[in-house]
Amino acid sequence: MNNFADAKVIHTLPWNSDAITTVALIGNDRVAAGNKRGDILVWNLSVPDGKTPDPVRRLAGHTNEINRILVTPDGKTLISVSSDHTVRYWDAQGDQGEPGTVVLNDGIPRGGVIGLKIKLPEIPPPIEVKVVVQKPIRELSGHEDWVASLTQTPDGKTLVTGDDKGIVIVWDLPAGKELRRWQTKYWARALGVSPDGKTVAASEYVVLRHPEKEKESYRGFRLWDVETGEPKVDLSKDIKETMGAVAYSADGKWLAVGVGGGMGPEQKGTVTLLDPETGEKVRELTPHHELGATDLAFHPDGKHLFSAGRDQHVKIWQLEDGKHVRNLGEPKKRGDWISSISISPDGRLLAAADGAGQVLVYSLT
Amino acid sequence: MNIDLQPGTCHPQHHLSRRSLLKGVVTTASGMAVANWGALFNSQTIAAEAKRTGKRCIMLYMEGGVSQIDTFDMKPGRPSAGPYRPIKTNVGGIEVCEYLPQMAPHADKLAIIRSMKTQSVDHGIGGYHMMTCYPASEKFPHAEIGAMIAKYCENPESDLPSFIKMGIAGCNAGSGYLGPKYEPFQLGTDGQLPSFANPGVSQEVQDRRGELLKFIEAQHAKQRPARPFASHREAELRTIRLMRARQAFDVGAEWEKAKDRYGDTRFGRGCFTAVKLVEAGVPFIEIGQAGYDSHNDNFTVHKGCLSILDPAWSSLLKDLEDRGLLEDTLVVWTSEFGRTPLINSQAGRDHYGRAWTVVLAGGGIRGGQHYGASDPDGVEVADNPVNEGDYFATIYKTLGIDHRAEHYLGSRPIWATPEGSKPIKELLG
Repeated sequence: MNNFADAKVIHTLPWNSDAITTVALIGNDRVAAGNKRGDILVWNLSVPDGKTPDPVRRLAGHTNEINRILVTPDGKTLISVSSDHTVRYWDAQGDQGEPGTVVLNDGIPRGGVIGLKIKLPEIPPPIEVKVVVQKPIRELSGHEDWVASLTQTPDGKTLVTGDDKGIVIVWDLPAGKELRRWQTKYWARALGVSPDGKTVAASEYVVLRHPEKEKESYRGFRLWDVETGEPKVDLSKDIKETMGAVAYSADGKWLAVGVGGGMGPEQKGTVTLLDPETGEKVRELTPHHELGATDLAFHPDGKHLFSAGRDQHVKIWQLEDGKHVRNLGEPKKRGDWISSISISPDGRLLAAADGAGQVLVYSLT
Repeated sequence: MNIDLQPGTCHPQHHLSRRSLLKGVVTTASGMAVANWGALFNSQTIAAEAKRTGKRCIMLYMEGGVSQIDTFDMKPGRPSAGPYRPIKTNVGGIEVCEYLPQMAPHADKLAIIRSMKTQSVDHGIGGYHMMTCYPASEKFPHAEIGAMIAKYCENPESDLPSFIKMGIAGCNAGSGYLGPKYEPFQLGTDGQLPSFANPGVSQEVQDRRGELLKFIEAQHAKQRPARPFASHREAELRTIRLMRARQAFDVGAEWEKAKDRYGDTRFGRGCFTAVKLVEAGVPFIEIGQAGYDSHNDNFTVHKGCLSILDPAWSSLLKDLEDRGLLEDTLVVWTSEFGRTPLINSQAGRDHYGRAWTVVLAGGGIRGGQHYGASDPDGVEVADNPVNEGDYFATIYKTLGIDHRAEHYLGSRPIWATPEGSKPIKELLG
């Protein structure tokens, strides 16, 4: 069994314009990341040893923070969802576009500040990089609030998006055509779709740390029948925390959920494996992430689950017995989060979106 | 002391100083003169100044520190902006956060003070300062704003409490040097009466008990002039009067019709109850909404909180207006401080007092305007700074209260607002 003992960071890609929220590997040699400013950059990782890759493309068009991105299984299309209410498709392969420049260090360091003595720091001399600026090839406009959740089936035929009005939309991914939509009670914040495209697992919640209504938890977790748009399993009463991350394994054997979503500073980021049909708990994975889990990714080997958390850790889990294999990264009690992870199709690379203003690329071999 | 004191008289036991010779009492609705604990220390001159204005105040208190940049002082395009977008209102030049859509049509009622510059930027001390006008570090029993307004705006004929709190409170200073008569009456978080106020006996039995109690205590008090007795007696009288008036708190049937507009939440019900209480003559009601302290996840935290606030606040204003009450009812939206323009590494904003926002409406306030401004990033006040004293002075002036009203604790004078505090003339109608 692979214990990922040699996993290490091979590239640190600086980009501090705003908090980096999401990351996706394109094929096995490029990586894309989105940030809260609404920009997406693409780096080509095939560079001579010892050289730090620079971004080569900027995907421009979103007008608010990028919440999630993914790349279709064929590697041809990158899809993004944003707080500007839109879903956009981008050509992940091409390099056509206008010439442009990005500044990699024009953000303000995001330190915690309490008290009266505060001054915005001076912006350092700009680090500018020439890029190709691409525009989206398609825009889906079925949402009317922040689109925070995004997932697809392994065959690339079905796309699912969810927004803060609680609308979940199932799309014919290649056609960009809406197939079905339904309404959840709260914000649709984390989604997973079964490999056969028949079931959507949806975590919904509203961040209200002081409940404003009796007997109201402000959270839910249900398995939805895509064909009918009705829930077929409702686990809302069983869950005691909000689920900030949801993912099905590509073989459909596992449904993983991670506690997260910012309900409070003491939230534990417990990752749990569920039965994908019934939603019953199969195994709780320990030790948990501190402060909350942010993302989940099954390794292409079918044997491992990776989870990311607000503790700056990426945790590697063995699916067979739930064993904690190891952590990647150094833990922090209060600092920037690893908000998103992505594993390359060949399983050799992992990219992590580090809120500190960088994308970390790990070699897993 | 005996409880037959009349206004303007005094008793040797209370001569804490020559100044406190000038103290008064009030007469209750039951016709019995009782010691006004606060009046033991209030000058006769000030008592004479206490004008019953008929004005009211509802204070919406955003517990934890509400973010000015994510509500009324947005900075689109700046590094401090965050993901919220501004929307237009019914007043040109005034924009509010997209998650206050129901407040946008009420902008013509709002005086938005965007230049609050305050000193106490942690929860306990911030709440204390913004509720009493004085820093907690003075170690003095200051009176909360609700007690002050109750003192000067109460209707002595009313059986209802004059200072009511619902939900989480801004601070617990209470009536301080104004005495127990003006202590706050705390309702449940949803605006419902505490269980003790719902007796299990009939009104007739309650009345008989009340008469008996009154007789026994009158006899008892003749021999016991001590101040604690007065305080105790005051509490009893308030309870008896509350029992009589408790139907004013029973909004259950009407709430069923109103909850869709206000939002079916504790805060929403509190706002609806506040309208009813103002209508019944209560001079000050504070309604707290908890949960704005967003050191992490500021934007989802505020989004959740604003979804509660928006329908409740807007419906409150509309109902006050529709009932002809807004003209005499000042609605204050406040917090203990604002939040940092910088967004921290936890997607949060921290405590901030150097440039933040409060909002006033009704009560004669000139709405449809901004007052003051912060700089482009919201870091500093750029125009017309407003401190705690000016903020309080503006509220007091609006309600017809002398913002420099002088009171005494023993021989020590204390003013409603510190020296130098000035009402904001531009906001006064």
